[in-house]
Amino acid sequence: MNTVKIAVIVTFCALSIGTDYTLVGVSNVKPMDLIVFIGGFTYGPVVGSLIGIVSWLIYGVANPFGFEPRIWLATMFAEPVYAIIGSLLRRALGSPNLGSLRFRYSVLFATMGFFPTVVYDLITNTVYAFVYNTPVFVALFIGAPFAVVHEGANFLIFGACSVPALRALGKVVKE
Amino acid sequence: MNKWAIAALVMLCWALAASFMVGYYYYQYNELSSKTKEVMITANLGINYGNKSATRWFNGTKISAGSTLLGLTKLNTSVNYTGSLSGAFVNSINGVSNSNGKYWLWWTHSNYGWVFGQVACDKYVVGTNETLVWYYETYSASPQPPS
Repeated sequence: MNTVKIAVIVTFCALSIGTDYTLVGVSNVKPMDLIVFIGGFTYGPVVGSLIGIVSWLIYGVANPFGFEPRIWLATMFAEPVYAIIGSLLRRALGSPNLGSLRFRYSVLFATMGFFPTVVYDLITNTVYAFVYNTPVFVALFIGAPFAVVHEGANFLIFGACSVPALRALGKVVKE
Repeated sequence: MNKWAIAALVMLCWALAASFMVGYYYYQYNELSSKTKEVMITANLGINYGNKSATRWFNGTKISAGSTLLGLTKLNTSVNYTGSLSGAFVNSINGVSNSNGKYWLWWTHSNYGWVFGQVACDKYVVGTNETLVWYYETYSASPQPPS
């Protein structure tokens, strides 16, 4: 692993944790998912997952909303879904020229932000149900507005930021 | 990249989000219904046998919140109906059966005057102090019930 790569990964972790705390008052709107996705897209699922896990190790433990170990573990181990989707998308697209067909790529990335968020929310809401002794379907229904905000926010964040971020990153990192 | 495939993905996102919200509102509705079923409300029911007859009123009928028009009708009249997927179809009220093109149709009184019932009577939840009328008339004539 070269120094540039290490520097980028550490920067990603710092950016992820920093934005989490900055946006602590805005529920379910976080660039962390995008950062993990970009990590997975650029460096593969292992590195992307590590960014997510390290971010949750810090933000999840020192969390202003409190600490519940089972939910923390669920969020931490659900986060790599973004890295996996990112690396799969990279494999499917090859080395895309993000400068052309920019709008289409943005919409594609927006949807790729949405679907893993659905999976993530399903996992975390299911764990919530078991932790707080709530029927799973009730937890899913009650959590639906929060999930939809999360999914909608990620749709917009991924759609607006993925292409510029990947293009900028491409200038820094030569794989 | 196929633009239609991307459009389909976007629509799928929309469908998923909408489905979640449907589940949420369905749950909230059931919760609210179960919490308010002991609450009593009053409603007014009229029965009009057509042929310019006077409407017989059952004003101030007490029913539990969340009751349907069918429930309100059962409290005040002898009603015969057939159940189906789309809801209850009223065959007769107080022994007066659908015949010769005349049917039991229901109306509700709103701020805009009489409004024709759009759903089966067992699908319509009665509101507090709402005024409803069963009117024995033809579909084609569809006259508004007399006040």
